Amino acid sequence: MIVFDLMLAAAILVAGWSALSAPDRTGAIAGFLVFGLLVALSWVRLDAPDVALAEAAIGSGLTGALMLRAAGRMAPPAADRVPRAQRAAAALLACGLAGGLAVAVMDLPGATIVYDPLVRADLGQSGVSNPVTAVLLNFRAWDTLLEMAVLLAALVLVAALGPRGTPRPARLGPLYTPFLRIMAPLSVLVAGHLLWLGATAPGGAFQAGAVLCGGLLALYFGGALRPAAVPAGPLWALCAAGVAVFAAAALAAEVLTGTLLAYPDGADKIWILAIEGGLTVSIGATLLLLFTGLRQGGARA
Amino acid sequence: MTPFPFPDLTPQLIYHLAGAALVGIALYRGATSSDLLTRILALNVLSVGIAAVFVAAANRGAGAVPDPVPHAFVLTGIVVLVAVTAALLALAERIDLTGAKSDD
Repeated sequence: MIVFDLMLAAAILVAGWSALSAPDRTGAIAGFLVFGLLVALSWVRLDAPDVALAEAAIGSGLTGALMLRAAGRMAPPAADRVPRAQRAAAALLACGLAGGLAVAVMDLPGATIVYDPLVRADLGQSGVSNPVTAVLLNFRAWDTLLEMAVLLAALVLVAALGPRGTPRPARLGPLYTPFLRIMAPLSVLVAGHLLWLGATAPGGAFQAGAVLCGGLLALYFGGALRPAAVPAGPLWALCAAGVAVFAAAALAAEVLTGTLLAYPDGADKIWILAIEGGLTVSIGATLLLLFTGLRQGGARA
Repeated sequence: MTPFPFPDLTPQLIYHLAGAALVGIALYRGATSSDLLTRILALNVLSVGIAAVFVAAANRGAGAVPDPVPHAFVLTGIVVLVAVTAALLALAERIDLTGAKSDD
């Protein structure tokens, strides 16, 4: 299998380079999509299926969709006009940093065993048996709460800067509606399954939210879902629901146990599932609106 | 661990080095490209490279359970990155629009 790993690593580097050096935007973004999926595959090889799922769905799929949409709106790229000296200096610095990272990495294994024993000792009390979910929603829930705030902040920026009124996507062929009838309910089922599964196996709110967003995007392209036709208030409420539920849970835990985000003993799983439910809906809606954009000022715009 | 000059080839080491190389590629293209979209792509590749180093560091070889803490960090990073990318793309589109207007 080591040959497979070597080939995969080489393919990742080639795809990464082609994503950053293709002369046309479509080629570059296609390279980036391939790159993301190959990286996700390599993370499965490294026993990180949670991260691989998120990279394939969000890091590669959704980011690629965002890039393609932006590329369609922007003028074609200008040729690079960077002086040779600056190029050489950049190459030297980049090689130095990459080399330094590679060397530093050689004696890293000793340094990573800092948190692991703590996680292992407390996993039984976390309410879930998937250690990644335990870290995200219990031990380091504070990080995840702030992450939701970052998502909301990005949406505010996109809504403020994006073009007014999202254009209707072009009509797709006659087979699209039957496809949608299967895909849209299926995406809700898969999202719910991933959400429930996250407690014990790879999965969780972020993967579920990404799948939900995929289903919503399919509806959007089919013309069945028009975020621009919905008043902005409920949309914002949906997107803020994740932070709101999480913050409310944090404060409720503070009142009940005296510690911020320390869930009451024995009820951890219910708390985590309730928070994750809110997160999933909110992540799905936020990712969709990051793609479609938000019409400013509701009916006024 | 393994002696430095001739370390045994493990998947962990291979992807570690690939992650480091990705960081180098992304930094170089981020510094030399004059196209905004390529620079945003470079930021994404840079982030994936660092994430690859994290994921490889979390791995303890076949059969052993990997460290979940770096995994959680990378998961958080992926979601934050897509938010940052969407925000940067909105900015880039706006810059592109105003740049096109001033050229007329």
